[in-house]
Amino acid sequence: MIELIISLISITLQTSAPLLLASIGECIVERGGILNLGIEGAMLIGAFTGFISAYFTKNLLIGILASIIGGIAIVLFFGFLVIEMNLDQVISALAINLLSYGICIYFFRIIFSQGSLPYISELLSPIPIPILSEIPIIGMILFNQTIFVYIALISIPIAYYLIFKTRYGLSLRATGENPSIAYRLGVNVSKVRYIALIIEGIFVGIAGGTFCLSMFNVFDVRITAAKGFMAVSIVILGRWNPIGVFGGALLFGFAEALSLWIGTLIIGPISASISQLLSILPYVVTIIALLIGGRKAKGPASLGAPFSRE
Amino acid sequence: MSSQIPSFFSNDIVLHVEGIRKVYPNGVIANDNVTLSVLKGEIHAILGENGAGKTTLVNIIAGCIKPDAGEIYVNGKKVKIDNPRTAIKLGIGVVHQHFILIPTLTVIENIALSLNNSGFRLNLSKVKERIIQLSNLLNLKIDFNTKVEELPVGLKQKVEILRVLCQNANILILDEPTSVLTPIEVEEFFRILRNLKEKGCSIILITHKVKEALSISDRITIMRKGRIIKTLTPKETNEEELSLLIIGEKQNSESISFTNENNNTKKILLSVNNLNVRGDRGELSVKNVSFSLYSGEILGIAGIAGNGQKELVEALTGLRKPESGTIIIMDENVVNKKPKFLIKKGMAYIPEDRIGRGVVLTMSLAENAILKRFEESPFSNKTIMNKNSIMNYAHELIKKFGIIAPNPNIEVSNLSGGNIQRLIVARELSYNAKILIAENPTAGLDVRATDFTHRIFLDLKSKGVGILLISADLDELLKLSDRILVMYNGKIMKEFNRNEYDIYKIAKLMLGIEVN
Repeated sequence: MIELIISLISITLQTSAPLLLASIGECIVERGGILNLGIEGAMLIGAFTGFISAYFTKNLLIGILASIIGGIAIVLFFGFLVIEMNLDQVISALAINLLSYGICIYFFRIIFSQGSLPYISELLSPIPIPILSEIPIIGMILFNQTIFVYIALISIPIAYYLIFKTRYGLSLRATGENPSIAYRLGVNVSKVRYIALIIEGIFVGIAGGTFCLSMFNVFDVRITAAKGFMAVSIVILGRWNPIGVFGGALLFGFAEALSLWIGTLIIGPISASISQLLSILPYVVTIIALLIGGRKAKGPASLGAPFSRE
Repeated sequence: MSSQIPSFFSNDIVLHVEGIRKVYPNGVIANDNVTLSVLKGEIHAILGENGAGKTTLVNIIAGCIKPDAGEIYVNGKKVKIDNPRTAIKLGIGVVHQHFILIPTLTVIENIALSLNNSGFRLNLSKVKERIIQLSNLLNLKIDFNTKVEELPVGLKQKVEILRVLCQNANILILDEPTSVLTPIEVEEFFRILRNLKEKGCSIILITHKVKEALSISDRITIMRKGRIIKTLTPKETNEEELSLLIIGEKQNSESISFTNENNNTKKILLSVNNLNVRGDRGELSVKNVSFSLYSGEILGIAGIAGNGQKELVEALTGLRKPESGTIIIMDENVVNKKPKFLIKKGMAYIPEDRIGRGVVLTMSLAENAILKRFEESPFSNKTIMNKNSIMNYAHELIKKFGIIAPNPNIEVSNLSGGNIQRLIVARELSYNAKILIAENPTAGLDVRATDFTHRIFLDLKSKGVGILLISADLDELLKLSDRILVMYNGKIMKEFNRNEYDIYKIAKLMLGIEVN
């Protein structure tokens, strides 16, 4: 039984990792007043570029790097639309999501001939951390994970420090509260927002990479399964604070892990339909959590509002 | 960036603007060939009506607005100020009319934000040291870790000045700084300005108050309709001449006559009994307040902003649920009634926040004019709006209330503050209200618009309307009210009848100082 619980917690960390990475990135841009609902598409692009690169180079690290570049590119394009062109953030995000979906389908078909199912022969394996991984129970859970879980966990203190302890973080928070006042106080609003978007691009790209490089060895446009939108909910639940976001990501990751875990326990003719049913658990949790925890959430005052200099 | 110093420049000129011109997209010429010099260590007042172009000039110097033409010289060097950062670096510090503070950040964080320190880490303790050093100069003793939203207006202004000083500014531009201060605070504020002047700062004081300009400044520049009219020293001029220069024509000099008829036919329109109201943060903001408003009287409520007036008004107008107590309008308890019911009962409301509560900015003048009556005929027949009658009605209001607008279809966002106020007054008076609640009705308005508003109030009074006038402007209250209640910390401190008015007693009570 103990082993089962350890494996449940361990799976929770794995399923939480992409959610955590994406929501930490989203948390940072939202602190700067930009609501990036295009995160779902950005995650998909990250997964796609990561998969393609890893497939052709047979090098998973290059895959991660490509995920990051893909993520940054698409998020920066979103930034161009909302900052430079001053377009509506929600509409731009919608365009980004559709565009990402289209790009992935198109290039996937062009690159791979119909009928064949390309796959990566080897996934990223867990990296046990010397000594620490020897600790009973905790070692198994925390220190015997893939690089993605480590990056996700480290991203929490990094984001916290960035938001609350740096000069940049202060400018970022001020921009999110009121960009025109921040501008009058000498803050370079566009620069602050672009930097936030680049950071988000990195995190969201890596989040996309987790799907094709550590969980599944194939690519499909449904692979992100609305995890990007979940990340947006996690940011609300986490009250725009990286520590709160960590809690939210764990909750959602746990819901997913639970559905996988229960699925493996049930054997018999009905197991398939039950595990199908259980796979909606994370989405149900999203709705319930938002109903309970999202009620009094008060984010950055100018979140999603357009800003122009004059 | 810099070029040769023009020969006519003396070393004493710290700021010189030459031929500044700014035309807004809607065709308004806000600045037309504005040329102005500010000397080292002087207090230079720029005096003018609303819409004279003072704030536009400030925004151009601050780098918030790009001028269409003109040059700016700082310390003799030609500079290009294309964003606020450049202005800050050049030592130009601006305290805008609407404070530029982020409410959810602390005082230290707000100031740190504008400082040009390099470094990745946020070093708040270093900023704090500097703040403490400079705060003595302003006699500002507060906890600098307080969030700005928790500070009263007067202190927010001091924080703004402190911010500007921390930026090492030697040219201070203050846009209408005294409009938020009580008479006693103004005196202290002027002391601070003189102090800064002695330390070598040059101060540009933007104001529409003639008396202030005369009492504090070394030189006065008059602006009218975007142009510089004249620069004078206070010694060579007087109040009358300045007023004339500001308006540009002989002002209708008949002053408002105040009549205090004491007829016995007065009846109670509104009576408030033991009212308690909680504020946004759950604190008791209005404490056990009781008073009555009679027909045909103006009842003034004096007090520094943030002493419960806002919550009181919100409770009276049905925007906030009181904790306990009764509000009786013409024999009916209206606690927990909706605004719509109160409007039907004859309550009109002129809110302090004109833009946020008074009008819908993105709708037309005509639409705003019928906002409270759109369900009535002839404006609509329950479902379909009657465009012709709405337009005719709007035209009528424009004429009657002197609203300056090209046509009733103009979006309200294109109107100036004074005209928006006229529109609100016009709408509120259009349904024959019995009770008018007016919250700082003349704040930010120029002489003419203020005079207009006052005349309307006195006219209403003579028609038997009861007016509750909540104002931070003590002069206004003394001039108009039949009685004044002084509010401090949510409580009514004292009631003054017209024959007992004493500005110093009232001002002290406003600050919470008990007087016998």
